[in-house]
Amino acid sequence: MPPALQNPLTLWLVLSVALAAACYFGMRRELRVRATLYGSFLMACFLAFWPPYGKGEEPGKIKLGLDLRGGIHLVLQVVTDDALNATIDDAVQTARDQATRKGIVFASAQRVDATTFAVEGVEPARVKDMRDLLRDFFRSPEWDVREPAEGRFLVKMTEAYIRQIKDRTVKEAIKTLERRVNQLGVADPVITEHGSRGDQILVQLPGVTDVEQAKRVIKTTAQLSLKLVEDSAPSREALLQAHGGKVPDNMEVVEGAGQTAGQPVYYLVRKEAVITGRDLKNARAGVDPQTNGPEVQFTLNPQGAEKFKRETGRSIGRQLAIVLDGRVESAPRIESQISDNGRITGRYTAQEADELAKVLRAGALPATLKYLQELTVGASLGRDSIRAGVTAALMGMAFLAVFMLAYYRLSGLNAIVALTANLVILLGAMAYFGATLTLPGIAGVILTIGVGVDTNVLIFERIREELRNGKTVRAAISNGFERVWITILDTHATALIAAAFLFQFGTGPVKGFAVTLVWGLIANIFASYFVSRFLFEWVLGRRQAATLSI
Amino acid sequence: MEILKNPHYDFLGKSKIFVPLSILLTLGSLAYMTFHGIRYGVEFQGGTQVIVRFTNTPQIDRIRSVVDKTARGAVIQTYDDPRKNQVLVRLPGGEGEGAELSAQAQAILAGLARDYPENPVKESSTEIVGPIVGQELRRKAVQLTMFGLLFQFIYIWFRFGGAAWGAAATIAVFHDVIITLGLLVLCGYEVTLNVIAALLTLVGYSVNDTIVIFDRVRENLRQRRKEPLDTIINDSVNQTLSRTLISSGTTFLTVLGLYLFGGEVLRGFAFAMVVGIVFGTYSTIYIASPIVVWWQRLRKDRRPAARAAL
Repeated sequence: MPPALQNPLTLWLVLSVALAAACYFGMRRELRVRATLYGSFLMACFLAFWPPYGKGEEPGKIKLGLDLRGGIHLVLQVVTDDALNATIDDAVQTARDQATRKGIVFASAQRVDATTFAVEGVEPARVKDMRDLLRDFFRSPEWDVREPAEGRFLVKMTEAYIRQIKDRTVKEAIKTLERRVNQLGVADPVITEHGSRGDQILVQLPGVTDVEQAKRVIKTTAQLSLKLVEDSAPSREALLQAHGGKVPDNMEVVEGAGQTAGQPVYYLVRKEAVITGRDLKNARAGVDPQTNGPEVQFTLNPQGAEKFKRETGRSIGRQLAIVLDGRVESAPRIESQISDNGRITGRYTAQEADELAKVLRAGALPATLKYLQELTVGASLGRDSIRAGVTAALMGMAFLAVFMLAYYRLSGLNAIVALTANLVILLGAMAYFGATLTLPGIAGVILTIGVGVDTNVLIFERIREELRNGKTVRAAISNGFERVWITILDTHATALIAAAFLFQFGTGPVKGFAVTLVWGLIANIFASYFVSRFLFEWVLGRRQAATLSI
Repeated sequence: MEILKNPHYDFLGKSKIFVPLSILLTLGSLAYMTFHGIRYGVEFQGGTQVIVRFTNTPQIDRIRSVVDKTARGAVIQTYDDPRKNQVLVRLPGGEGEGAELSAQAQAILAGLARDYPENPVKESSTEIVGPIVGQELRRKAVQLTMFGLLFQFIYIWFRFGGAAWGAAATIAVFHDVIITLGLLVLCGYEVTLNVIAALLTLVGYSVNDTIVIFDRVRENLRQRRKEPLDTIINDSVNQTLSRTLISSGTTFLTVLGLYLFGGEVLRGFAFAMVVGIVFGTYSTIYIASPIVVWWQRLRKDRRPAARAAL
């Protein structure tokens, strides 16, 4: 093939023009437009899915489901209560700090449940100050401050805020999972929200068979460490060049997480960490009292504090990289010696400060993950399934072809062309929209063939009936098609209703079935009705037929 | 070639035999499922299912002695073609919480490697479902099938301008689904997600068949206003009979092919389709039509003008 035709779009255009020319010269006027449109549409569908499966390195255009390819399918639940608890704990801390700063005495401030905390025993003289303070820090629409008794305050998250936190937690968990799955080097993994409850995540790793390794990577609490930065540059090469072409022995190159305006940053950092996640006691987002800008406050345990004090004392003015899962999340500058209590200030938005605090605190995921479902398919079992499914589909088609030819003679040929067109459109649509073919999906293809035959039979039987009633061939065909049109619409509509409910079963093999069924039904209306009708008119037009082979 | 030329069978007349028979079959199915219990697949029940491919022909009793060390009450059987050396091990849902969900599967595979070393495992597939997912899915399956039926009912009611048509088609389909499910359980198949998919497809398919006849009735009603409804319905069934039989026959044979050659995973699905198509065709002819006639008769007693509304 000439290289210019390697591009499917060019190839399609060339073929379509050729077809249009052929139709113009070889066909009656009223058929030309339809022939060109139908033909060029079918060619587009064909080019969309060809070649269907991959050869060697080249991937096929039809995406195969896990059940056919082998791989892992996990459904995880994010325990969103963890994130709510953490938020409440932060809020309690803020309330305590602020009250203490203002010199308000109170008996206790603590969490009541995952979404509420209570401040109790406020000294009577300062109740008003406490109320103002709480109203100031815990405003609507996020919070709701109530006073069930004198000197007692209940601060509750609003439903909207709870939903927002849960939502953000799940999104963060997905982001974290993506980062980890990337380390596995899996080709086209799927990591998305799952189910209707909004707290489940679906992870699909095609081609991976070692579940335990995959789960280890997903599960690992993140490796958090703080390391001194020696240098940074926009690319690894630039960084190495500045240091004589190789990484110094006690250093390593770490990629930035890429938040800085989409520009890549590479850091040269000391291999030995100043402190790690184990030294960190707590971290939370707060407000810088001088600038009123958001900041992150953190607390270290005694061992960590000692190490940190020593190192930061020596390195004032240098950057400290916060390395999470092998990437630099942020690299703040050391402004003063820090022992057990430190602050990270900078141009953070409140949300960024919050996220960074979370990174430091949990190190890893914002909430615990629970495994709800786990499915692994061995690659050769998948291959067996494909073979069996395709065998069944081919046998079905062969049988139907023979039957249609025997029963409807030459009109059976028409049905076979229509069925082939149906399959071409179905596969083309699936490839174009990136739908996944699963094993039940193959069953869906077989059923589509069944539905296609049904439509043909419906039409052919009607034409025979019209012929029996003494109509001419031309009238019988046009009556036949017109009379069954409504029936075809009704039958397809009811089948589509049933298929729509199948979609509700979420992701996985059954969804693959629903997808093929829906595309198959839509393709069938076009193929078995319009293409088939065109074929009848085309064949009949050349000779004024008195009989029809049906 | 034609199988039937101008058939004139009295289908409605036979309804006196077939409708009671169908009621009996439906009730029988329901009773059987209630008393015998339905065996759910691992996705509905929760639990662990491992399919293991061995290098040589596996000895089931050896495997059982290994598996018993991990968990009692496991189902162990040959899976698919015996020449493929595959064994299915199924453990009921344990307290599988959190990361330990896969502990049983891992223990079994480790046990096999240790205590059955002369026949190494070549490959394995596992399916582990936590108890929450299973329950949720079971509820969803029933709900979705019911909603599927409800929407078909509404659609047909709307399209044919009468609740009689919707009710007739829906009752017929409901009957197909229940009897198919009953036979499935009777023949020892598990109710899996794939089976539910087959049942929902059946809902669509069986309604299809019924609609073809109803469409014909509607057409005939417009042309032959003087004749009684039961004659018209009976004629319509006869007129569409060859289409009904050919379509059902060809679809039946293709899903039969799927049942025979489609592999182990799709066996339950294909079985449900094979049985469902037979009953779907039967109910289209013998159940849906009499219901319309009876319903109209009931209304006619009260409101003589009802027929004109068709």
